[in-house]
Amino acid sequence: MAHSIEIDPKEAWSGGQSPFRLSYGKMFMWFFLVSDALTFGGLLVSYGFIRHKYAEVWPKAEHVFTHFPFVEQHLPLAYVGLMTFILIMSSVTMVLAVEAGHRMNKKGVVLWMFWTIVGGLAFVGSQAWEWYHFIIGTADGAWRNVWDPATQTYVKQVFHGANMITNEYGVPQFANYFFFITGFHGTHVFSGVVINFIIFLNVLKGTYERRGHYEMVEKVGLYWHFVDLVWVFVFTFFYLL
Amino acid sequence: MSDFHDNYPHYEVMSNHGEEEGKKSRRTLWNVFWIMLAITIFELVIGFMAPSHGWSGTLWLKTLFISLTVVKAAAIVMWFMHLKHEVSFFKYAILAPYIIFMLYTIFIILTEGTYAGSSGHLTRVDKIFIEQQAQLKQGHHASTDAHHEGHDSNTRH
Repeated sequence: MAHSIEIDPKEAWSGGQSPFRLSYGKMFMWFFLVSDALTFGGLLVSYGFIRHKYAEVWPKAEHVFTHFPFVEQHLPLAYVGLMTFILIMSSVTMVLAVEAGHRMNKKGVVLWMFWTIVGGLAFVGSQAWEWYHFIIGTADGAWRNVWDPATQTYVKQVFHGANMITNEYGVPQFANYFFFITGFHGTHVFSGVVINFIIFLNVLKGTYERRGHYEMVEKVGLYWHFVDLVWVFVFTFFYLL
Repeated sequence: MSDFHDNYPHYEVMSNHGEEEGKKSRRTLWNVFWIMLAITIFELVIGFMAPSHGWSGTLWLKTLFISLTVVKAAAIVMWFMHLKHEVSFFKYAILAPYIIFMLYTIFIILTEGTYAGSSGHLTRVDKIFIEQQAQLKQGHHASTDAHHEGHDSNTRH
């Protein structure tokens, strides 16, 4: 494929060329992604630790995330399955945009990047919807000690939904980790959409046509696939297990 | 093309390819997508069936889900992110440090973290937590729904 150029290992490190056969920009995008992946790895490992510690009282995801738009029934996993599909789909459109860029096909890049941005926005919107239902909670609620600022004491009352210190689903750590990890991931998705949009405008303006290569599309593509990669793990550890 | 007037090779341009090669790589990418979609649907079906079949939380189910996740992650990194086609030295420069470090982190949390659940190392908050669980088990439920069992750790006296 693209990088099929063979290198002579004796010559590779003697200067004047990249032994990795990569431009600086792409190489450092990779290094950035490794550091970001370490952050997410650390978060997920600590999530696993806390979840294991409170294994007996940890809520089951299939009891918490049961909503689906316009459907009254309890449908565990269906909504998050849809979100996963949207993100994988937008990952494919991104890689097709990169491929079109390698053929210097501006129309193709514009088309596929447009669908990538649409997919990204759909995912962020889905996550907002999921958070909304998580925060609002169920009609039943559960008994919790809730801090009352007026009397400066904890009052036992029926509590609906979730915030950082109290939630109806179970241990507070569940909501904390849910908010933090999906929130951190959602921030990445949102910034990815913004970056994709900026590059999309540049593609429309013909910046990369003049430059002679579409490597910027490839670099934001790497970031976008990384976001998808993280979601694969979040999906498993939060919703499936 | 470059703002720098040196003799550094233009790797950005070298990665361009023709129509023929494009067709081939598109076919590969779509195949990867269908495999990933099939894995995800399979995971969802198993996850959907798990509670009624009593599979939830079993070791084999966890192993299955985690290994399928690793397969999907490898597909994304190798084909979508193109790492498979980079120079192999670069491939290992990216993968090796990350994999070694993450395996170490998982190892250390599994060995050094075991104290957290043992009764000899309870923190102040844990004691309150256990006490409240015992109280709740005696019955202070808002709902009769089994999955809304209250577990409360918010009292900090």
